[in-house]
Amino acid sequence: MPSLLTLESITVGGRSQPRLDGVSLRLEPGERVALLGPSGAGKSTLIAVANGLLSPDHGQVLWQGEPRARRRRARRRQQARIGTLWQDLRLIEELTVQQNLNAARLAAWGWPRALLNLLLPLDSPACAAVLQRLDLDPALLNQPVSALSGGQRQRVALARLLRQEPLLLLADEPLASLDPRLAADLLTLLLELASPPRGLLLSLHRPDLLAGFDRAVGLRDGRLVFDQPCNRLEPGQLEALYAGAEP
Amino acid sequence: MRPAAPLWVLLPALVLLPVLALLPGISHGGGWELVGQFAAAALQPSLDPLVLGSVLGGLGITAGIALLGWAGSLALGLLLGIASSRVVWRTCTGSATPAGWIRRLLAVPRSIHELLWGLLLLQLVGLQPAVAVVAIAIPFGALVARVVSDLLDTLPTATLEALRSGGAPAPAALLTALGPPLLPQVISYSGYRLECALRSATLLGVFGLGGLGTELRLTLQSLAFRELWSGLWLLLAVMLLLEALLGWLRRRWAMPARLSLRQRAVGRQARELVAAGLGLLPLLALVAWRLEVEPTALLQWQGLPPLGPADWGAVASLPWPGLIANTVLLTVLAATLAVGLAPLLLLVVEPWPAAGVLLRGLWALGRLWPPPLTALLLLFVLQPGVLTGALALGFHNLGILGRLLLEAAETTGAPQQQALLAAGSGPRLALLYGRFSGLARPYLAYGAYRADVILRESVVVGLVGATGLGSQLLEALSSFAGDQLLALVLAYALLTLLGEDLSDRARLWLLETPHQETPHGDGHPQEAGGAWR
Repeated sequence: MPSLLTLESITVGGRSQPRLDGVSLRLEPGERVALLGPSGAGKSTLIAVANGLLSPDHGQVLWQGEPRARRRRARRRQQARIGTLWQDLRLIEELTVQQNLNAARLAAWGWPRALLNLLLPLDSPACAAVLQRLDLDPALLNQPVSALSGGQRQRVALARLLRQEPLLLLADEPLASLDPRLAADLLTLLLELASPPRGLLLSLHRPDLLAGFDRAVGLRDGRLVFDQPCNRLEPGQLEALYAGAEP
Repeated sequence: MRPAAPLWVLLPALVLLPVLALLPGISHGGGWELVGQFAAAALQPSLDPLVLGSVLGGLGITAGIALLGWAGSLALGLLLGIASSRVVWRTCTGSATPAGWIRRLLAVPRSIHELLWGLLLLQLVGLQPAVAVVAIAIPFGALVARVVSDLLDTLPTATLEALRSGGAPAPAALLTALGPPLLPQVISYSGYRLECALRSATLLGVFGLGGLGTELRLTLQSLAFRELWSGLWLLLAVMLLLEALLGWLRRRWAMPARLSLRQRAVGRQARELVAAGLGLLPLLALVAWRLEVEPTALLQWQGLPPLGPADWGAVASLPWPGLIANTVLLTVLAATLAVGLAPLLLLVVEPWPAAGVLLRGLWALGRLWPPPLTALLLLFVLQPGVLTGALALGFHNLGILGRLLLEAAETTGAPQQQALLAAGSGPRLALLYGRFSGLARPYLAYGAYRADVILRESVVVGLVGATGLGSQLLEALSSFAGDQLLALVLAYALLTLLGEDLSDRARLWLLETPHQETPHGDGHPQEAGGAWR
């Protein structure tokens, strides 16, 4: 089975201060990888390259062993298999939970379904199923997102990710600004969802949460500092990664 | 089944279906060659020094009229705005009742379009530069007054109350507590009014009140399309420069005013504002001198042809229901076309950046191109009537709404759109779901306000036989039928006041978001129509 995602010598930004500088990384199906590094290390840039929002200036991105498609439609099909959980969730406040969940299917839907969803929310059973999987009441489907609590919003964002049916889960600092209990819940859920054949690449600010991950990748100043199994990670490596960085 | 927010934005575009169905019935097809020549001439504007000299001269007059009319409207509007502010009356006299009366009085000059003021004044004092200036200053002044009083009455009053309870006299307390928060908003709004004044000055020119508008109309009527485009491109350049300059000044002065109180920028900003204000006075004097504007000449009324005894029977026999229905239909059609087409076109061009640039250019042309000229152009291929008038008015307002939509889209829903793109959604659907969701309410609220403006503007396409109160009014003006004129102006004023009330209600309903915990983007009511009069 080919790797889910392969980044080969990725460079983003000018030569004097690149945001990513020759970073190579491979992510296998079922693998759970934590991306570590101080602020400004290039973690968000790497996530943006991985989900296709950012094209690298140098280097190559392979999806399931194939280069990123150049044609729009094929590229969109590839991107539909990569789901991102954003730190600010990026839910659409004015739409209902169900319409938000279905927004994750827009890549597969044509205009008629997309418009109909705005009139009469579609696919209720599938939407209810993803909510139930995350212990959310299906009665929430008709609620506007703006009426949800913080914890519910986190889970609805996760449900939207599930509704997308991605093979690779990306998460950009999803635990930042969450209280410890919510952060622990969310991390557990994410690790559970990342079961084979799915993979997970999650950027983290807290090395103390590495327990459920297979591998840890350290980034600093846009460069790869380490990439190794979590159980072989030395405390000194983490200290060196964050040494002198702003708290 | 309730349509979600992004659909609201698209629903008005459904008006295209009946419009497209009706178009073949009113087209006569005789002038397509002329329209082709007009379009081709856009690429070959006349560079003849004589033409350019004449166009530049006309542009100078239009810009001068706009500047003077704008300055007059600001002075008038600020004074009347303060005079009609409830909080000012309450602080000074303890009762806000007089503010309400002044507001009601100001509704009359506001409801009459500057073109009507211009034509009425023209009848009274003859053709002179001051006519166009005053014609702009009166309705614009009344509009500025309403906005200033609305702004004053919605500012927080805690500081004012604290100062008053500390014994500060009313004028000083008002100036100290309300002046600083009011200033940036007034500056921002007055910049927008200057753009409107330039458009209005061009429009007044089309009706013979001098400047570039007159040149544009004459060249269009004599089919001198290359000369026409020389003027049009020049006007476009000036309009875009003005918009860019005002946008820059807004960002530099108005926007950061309350956020950077501890930065040195405030001192610099205040100095620049004072310098700009002081620099404006000699400039206004110079422009007035160059244009030979003599305010005293306005007092010398010319002899009117003898008015016969009022024939109220003839007034009553006017086809009032038809006139009013046509005016309302014209307004609704034009407003729906403009409101619906802007987001639809934005969606269509979304995947192609080059087409987006072209669309912006087309909208800029729509903004500055006076609707009567569009109507005249449409008459090459369409028969006169409500639909032709609505298309002309719709195109003009599409330019204004399109620009507003673009500005709002820049600050609303970008992260949501990006998230959808990252999940593989197509660019159009990402725009529809991601950005239009947040934009829907403020955009439609502005659209409701725009409909109210269009109702007032409907008089300007009366010239080309777009039947309704506007055309009847122009007929009454040219036949010196004073009784009909009075009745029609009153009917127009009443209708626009009613429209204003309806549009205010629609706006309030739209902006009354039921769940506002975490709105994204700005699009706050003031920008979305509250103050953009």
